[in-house]
Parts: sequence; structure tokens; C-alpha cells
Amino acid sequence: MEQKPAHPRLDLLQGTLDLLILQTLQWGPQHGYAISQTIRARSADALQVETGSLYPALHRLQKQGWVKSEWRFSELNQRAKYYRLTPAGKKQLSRERDRWSQLVAAIGGVLSPAEE
Amino acid sequence: MKLADWLLRRRREDDLEDEIRTHLAMAATESVKDGLDAESARLAALKDFGNVTLTREATRTAWGGTWRWVVADLGQDVSYAVRTLARSPGYTAIVIAVLALGIGANVSLFSVFKSLVLTPIHGVENSGRLAVLGARTTAGRLSALPHPDFREIRKDAHAFEGLAGTTDVFFTVGIGTASQRMYGELVTGNYFQVLGVRAQLGRTLLPSDDVTPGNHPVVVISEAVWKRIFGSDPQIIGRPLTLNGQSFTVVGVSEPGFQGSVVSQTVGIFVPVMMQPQTMPPDRLSSRQVPLLWGLGRLRSGTTIEQAAAQADGLSAQLATVRPDDPNEFRATVIPIWQSPYGAQTYILPLLMPLGAMSLLLLFIVCANIANLVLVRGLSRRGEIAARLALGASRSRILRLLLVENIVVAIPGTLAGLVMSHALSGLMRQSATADATMIFDLNTSPDGFVAGFALLLSFGCSMLFGFVPALQSTRLDLATVMKDDLSARSGSKGRLRAALVVSQVAVSLVLLVGAGLVIRTLESVQGANPGFDARNVVLMAVDLRAGGHDEVRGGLFCESLLAAVRAEPGVEAAALASRLPLRAVEGRRRQVSVDGYGLKRGDELRFSVDTITSDYFRTLRTDVLAGRDFEASDEQSGSPVVIVNETMARRFWNTPDNAVGRRVALDGTSKWRTVIGVVRDMKYTRLNEEPRSYIYAPHGQLYEPNLILHVRSREASPATIQQLRRRVEAVDANVPILNVRMLEDVVRQGSAVYRMTASVLGLFGGIALLLAALGMYGLVSYSASRSAHEIGIRIAVGANPSDVARRFLGDGLRLGIWGVACGLAISIIVTRLLTSLLYGVGPTDVVSFASALAVVLVIVLAASSIPAWRAARTDPIAALRHR
Repeated sequence: MEQKPAHPRLDLLQGTLDLLILQTLQWGPQHGYAISQTIRARSADALQVETGSLYPALHRLQKQGWVKSEWRFSELNQRAKYYRLTPAGKKQLSRERDRWSQLVAAIGGVLSPAEE
Repeated sequence: MKLADWLLRRRREDDLEDEIRTHLAMAATESVKDGLDAESARLAALKDFGNVTLTREATRTAWGGTWRWVVADLGQDVSYAVRTLARSPGYTAIVIAVLALGIGANVSLFSVFKSLVLTPIHGVENSGRLAVLGARTTAGRLSALPHPDFREIRKDAHAFEGLAGTTDVFFTVGIGTASQRMYGELVTGNYFQVLGVRAQLGRTLLPSDDVTPGNHPVVVISEAVWKRIFGSDPQIIGRPLTLNGQSFTVVGVSEPGFQGSVVSQTVGIFVPVMMQPQTMPPDRLSSRQVPLLWGLGRLRSGTTIEQAAAQADGLSAQLATVRPDDPNEFRATVIPIWQSPYGAQTYILPLLMPLGAMSLLLLFIVCANIANLVLVRGLSRRGEIAARLALGASRSRILRLLLVENIVVAIPGTLAGLVMSHALSGLMRQSATADATMIFDLNTSPDGFVAGFALLLSFGCSMLFGFVPALQSTRLDLATVMKDDLSARSGSKGRLRAALVVSQVAVSLVLLVGAGLVIRTLESVQGANPGFDARNVVLMAVDLRAGGHDEVRGGLFCESLLAAVRAEPGVEAAALASRLPLRAVEGRRRQVSVDGYGLKRGDELRFSVDTITSDYFRTLRTDVLAGRDFEASDEQSGSPVVIVNETMARRFWNTPDNAVGRRVALDGTSKWRTVIGVVRDMKYTRLNEEPRSYIYAPHGQLYEPNLILHVRSREASPATIQQLRRRVEAVDANVPILNVRMLEDVVRQGSAVYRMTASVLGLFGGIALLLAALGMYGLVSYSASRSAHEIGIRIAVGANPSDVARRFLGDGLRLGIWGVACGLAISIIVTRLLTSLLYGVGPTDVVSFASALAVVLVIVLAASSIPAWRAARTDPIAALRHR
């Protein structure tokens, strides 16, 4: 069942999906489809969120109290479930960002001596 | 799951469904904007989304509270499994039937085990944990304790919470012709308190009934006796009841369900042991030589059997030092109740163990058979399973579904097995009730233990033997299955099936060898010479005490009885004796002193002593080897005489001739009795007993009120028996005839246990063989059908059909040979278990092995040649067109 994607795509690192979702929601409440489209667009198609991971992640974040959801009508007058960042979610986002920068710095540190 | 939870879950499910639908709709709208038509847009959106089911399932797990959803999923799985199984009723019926066989057989045997070990005493809680205080004789035999010893040891046996004493005895209840023989117990005053049994009417026996010898003529009866003799009369308390000619007062009726403490026997009459001298003289209460009581009680918590046994042993050693001039050969010991000889457990358990092992083997075959069916079903369901995997179901999810299916068939299989075992134990009960005085009443009724065992078996089987094949079924190469490539070589699966068939053949061989050995045993038992001629001998039990006779009048009655019977036309010989040959129960033994024989260490001179009249050996046609038979003159003669059997004569005096004129004494007295004759050995208790020493004394010199009239007539027809009965009643109408039987029936009963074992094992072997044949047939025809394409080509290009047949036949036979080889190896080990059951054949009897081998080989040949022959007749056109 494995299919080769048409264009090179980066696999999401374990745990980074939560960070991406929280970050996307920072700009305002969005529904699931919009979240996946936003991530895709902002990464210039490099990151494609599998819906099979997106919805479990959204529901997990909601269970942890970092996002809240409600059914609303979209600008196109379509009923959709919108996810919104909670204050706790905001704190979580900054924590995850910090961790991400640490991770990037650490990996950079590991990689750079080899380049010199 | 609570309703609120369920509603919450439904809402969430709907919510998620909506969310996914919105997502798809939005994606489709985008694509339409990009210029696609509506249908393509919808498909593109779906394709982009990926696996909807997987997303749904993954999201659900994010909700948490997982176990609840697992339970709900399980409910779904169960209903799905029920629907699937209902669609293939043939498969379902076979699995249920086969499982019922295996479980039924095992549960039946377990019920017997339970009734002997786990709940040995009806109506007493936790009776399996009771411990028995007894004695070990110098020869290592277990025995009861002499009465004074029991009392002394009980005083200081602190390992027990309470210790009751009991011994079993036959009572003749009532007076005259209305009397009947019943099983009873002589017990200490605390018996009912120790066992925790109450009275439903009146009172139980109490310690105050246990004070002065001969002074407590009171009796407690069981509910069954109350019903049968007194018609459940509520005014029973205070009524008189005659026991062995003595008058007693009924003081209570015990709780329903309680039937005494003799394991596997129904006891209905309880009398204080202080009445022993009155009910079964001579007086044994003060004797330190004659064993009388078994102790029964619960150990204090934290005390082990070993500690209690050590304590009891110490106490009896102390007794020996306190009274050195009154030595005895009994050292007290404590054993768990299942090892106690007080009851049938030590007779039945050794039989039960090999049967149990065999039935577990049968269950193994059953499981192998089901595993095979599950495998085959897995193969035919490969399409379905592949589709499920392709749709994104995880392997564990499918595995769970298959397992649930196994459990769903296991439940009706288990229930059917329970019903079967219930019917089976009913049958066993019926076959055992031929002798009214010795009813084996095993508490085999299904209870928590039995149900638990059945559940354990069925779930164990369905998990163990369903799991491996199910695991195999889910390990599929999707692409090949989807392309319907049936010729795909799934080697490991073939190997597993082959292994199952080999093990089935092996185990059925083991079972057939076992059955063969027992059948051969049965043959030699039926052909065995019991030492007497059982044909045309009528037996009638009489009790002189119930007729109101004392020793003097009893003796006179016996004389006139014998004279009357011998005068009857058609009667060849008649005699009275205190015991039957081949009586199955070990009677009491007496201490014997042999003149001039010095006791060696470990010697135990305790032999059975029968009281007989003259003509006994002529009636039974037993040879007198030396000396003479008793004569009428011996009855009243002042010089005491005995007759001994050949084994005893050879043990002490080397030859029968040399034994005549020697002297023995009984019960530690110095009253010497001269040996006047030596007779050939009989089988006294069982057909397969070891030779044992035996002594006969004349009735006039060793009085016994309980006698059995043996009458040899030319033909023993019902008319003759009726005539004899009238004759006995004419002599004294007050002496009741308690039991009328033919000696031949007694002998037949002696081999009943072998007949039962042989038929059970034969049945097991037959079932096992049938299952193995089915497995073999299935395997060969499966491998033939898988190669149908190849066979078609071969035949089309001119291969000889018999070559094709030979190839598949060879496959089957190879497995058969493997199975037979393994089976032989296992048999040689396993049949050792049967040794205690065998008589006249060794555990490696060649005839049994050879015939089992022949049967198995024939069946293997048949089961593999039929599908092989069918393969050879494959129509090449049809086989090739299938592709």
C-alpha cells in the first residue's frame, strides 16, 4: 500500500505536529482542513499533514485543554468545527517553541563541526 | 458501560463524522474551484484524505478512557462473530461438538476428582481441607487408632482446632422381617460440632453423649433415613429405633445434605462411640491393640499437615514411654483427607489419574482438530482478511476478531460439554448402584469448582489452539491473495498443519494402546481363577441380632437353618460365612500370633479372620490342600481349631502339609487354636490383589451374628431363590433376609471397574482416531486441491493417474509414519501410568501395541488414499480452465 509521493515530502518529526498546530492556531481559530492547508502553504508544500495524524492530534490537544472547539459557519457559509487556542495552549506553545529552538541549536551544534 | 458514557461517545462519534465530512466537502470545493468536475473533485478529496477508517480509529484512541471503548468494540466483535459463525453452521457445529466431547470427558473425570479431593464430605464446608488423624503400623499400613490412644492424643493435639473420632459400621435397623441393612458411624460427642453440621430437628450428638460406656442409647439420623424409614414424621424425636437388636432413642435429624464422613458413601445413622460394645461386640473401647477410631478435624491456621503429623507422632511416642508394659504397634500420624483410607478415595484416585491423563490427551487431539479447522477457515477466509487489512484494519484488530470468534464457539461447546458430563456421571452412578449396601455416592454435581474448571479448559483451549492459527491467518501477502493466487506456497502454514496431523495420529495411537491394555486386562480378569466356583451359588445375608438371638440361640438357629436348606431338593451344599469373597471392601483384620514364630522388624501379623460353618469350601468348590474341612463336631468342641489358606501355610510353615497341627492365637490372647486344614487361596477383595494370608474359624468357636448364607444348587433360577427364601423364613420369621444375590454377580462386579475403564478408554481411542482421520483426510485433500492446476497439466501431458495418486498417498503416509513413531515413543512412557490398573499384562504388552498400531495404520491409509484417489481422477480440462 506504500505509495511514492509525487514530490519530495518531509516526514514530520515525532511531536512536532502539536507545535505546528498550536502555532497555526495562534493567528486565530481555524478548522481542520484550513489547518492542514495552512501548514502545507507555509512550508511551501514541503510539509504535508496526514489527516490520519491531524485529527487524532487535534482531539488530543483538546483533551489536554490547550485548544477548544466549536461549530461555526465559515466565511463561505459552510458549517465547520473551529479550533481555538486557550491561554494554557499559548503557554504550551511557547514551551514547545523553546524546546524546538533548543533542539535545532543542539542538532546544529552536532552537525556544524563536521562541516568545518 | 453506563448510559451517560455511551451517549457521550455517540455524540463524539457523530461530531467526528461531521468533522470529516466537512473536511472532505471543503477539499472538494477547492478542487472544483481549480476546474475539476464534482465527481472527480470528490474522489480527489477522498484520495487526499487517505484512510478514513484509520483516522477515525486513531482519533478515538485520543479520547482516552480506552478500556471502555475496548469493551464496546468487543461487543461489536462478538455480534460480528456470531453472525459469521451462523453463516457457516457446518463448521460451527463440528467445532462445538468436538469441543463438547473433549470438555465433557475431562469435566466428568474432574467431577469425580473434585468429589474425592476438593469436596469429599457432602454438606460440610471446605471439607477438602480436613485432616485425618490415623496410625501407621510397623509395616507402614494406614490404620485407625485404638480408642484409648485416640483419647490420649486428642487431649494434646493442639495442631487441630477440634478433633472428632469416627468409625464406620453396618447397622441392621429395625426388628424382624421389616429390618434393613444401613450404613452408619460410631462417633465421638464432638463429631457434629467439629464438622459444623447442625440438626434440623431435635439436637445433634453432644459431648455429654460421650461419657460412660454403654450408657448413651441415642441416635441421630440423616434426612434421607428420616424420609425413608419415618416418612419425614415431624414427631420423630424421642421415638425408639432398634439398631443391631439394641433399642435406641432418636434425638435428632441432621441438616439436609449431610450424609456422614465416609468419603463416597452415604451414611445415615450416627451413634455415640460409647455404644460400641452394645452394637458391635466385643468391647474395644479399652483395648490398645484393636484400632477403632479415625480422627477428623481442621488444622489451626498456619499449621501444616507435616507439623500436625510430627506432633501426633511425638504424642504417641510419649504414650509408649508412659505405658511401657502395654505396647502397641500404632504410631499416630496426620494425613490430608484425600489420602485417607476411610472412604473410597484411595481406591478410586489411582484409577482416576491415568484416566485423567488419557482424557487430557483426548482434549489435546480435540484442540489440534479445532486448530486445524481454524487454519483451514483462515485459508478460505484469506480474501476477507486481506480486504480488511487493505482497508486499514490493524493486525491486532483482526487477531482480536478471530480470537473472539474462537471464544464465541467455545461457550456453547463448553455448555454442551457440561451437559454431556452430567449425563455421563449419571450413567456412572447408575452402574455403581447394583449393591444396595455399598452405594458409591460421589458428589459429582456441578458446582463452582466444576464450572471454573470447564471455563479454564475451554478458554485455555480456544486461546492456545486458536491463537497460533489466527496469527498465521493474518500474516498475509495482500497482493497475492487479492490476485486469487491459490497456488501461493505458504510453507510455514503447511508445516503447522502437518505437525497437527502428526500429533493427532500420535496421540490417538497412545489412547488406543491404553485401551488395548485395559481390554486385555479385562480379558485376563474375566478369565482369572478367583479360587472358587461362582456358578449357581445364591447368597442371602441374615442378621441374628435383628431376630433377637443371643449367641446360644443364634448357634441353634444356624444349625436348623443349614439343616432345612440342605434338605431342600436341588441343593448340593450350603454353608454360612461372615464375609463374601471378592467383596471389594477391606474388612477388619485381627492381630494374629503364630506359635514358634519370632516377630521380625517391620512384620505385621494382622490378617482377616472369617467365621464359617462346615461345608463352606465344598459349597464354593475350593480345594482343601491338606488336613480336613470343619465338621459339625468342631462347632461345639472344646479344642479350638482353624483353617488357613495356602499363602499363610507357606509363609510360616513352608508347605501345606507341614502347617497341619501348628497353632495360632487371635487378638493378642493366649488361646491357641490348632490348624486342622489348609485351603487354596481365593481372591478375597479384588481380582488383582496380592496373595494374602487368611484364617477361617468355625462359627461355634468365633461367634458372628452377621452371616451370609451360601447355597449351591443345581440351577439357580428365580424359582429356586424364592423357594429358598420361604425356607429360611419358615425356620424363624423374625430373622430378616437383608440381601439376596448371586455369587456370579459379585464376581462380575469385581471386574466392573475394568469394564468401565476399558469402555471409557476405548471410546476415547475411537474418538481420537476419528478426529485424526478427519485431520489427515483434510490435509491430503487440501494439498491435492491446491495442486489441482499442476495435476491437470501432468495428466494433460500424459502422466499416469496412479503416479499422481501415489504422490499424495505418499505425503499422507509419511505424516502417518511420523505420527506412529512419535506415538509409540510416547506410549512406552505413558503406559507406565496404567500399571496400577493392569492385571495379567505388562505395560508394554506386545499384542496391545501391535493391534493399536495396525488399526492406526489402516485408518491412516484409508484417510489419505481416498483424497489421493480423487486427485488422480482430476479432470485436466476443468483444472486448467480454472486459471
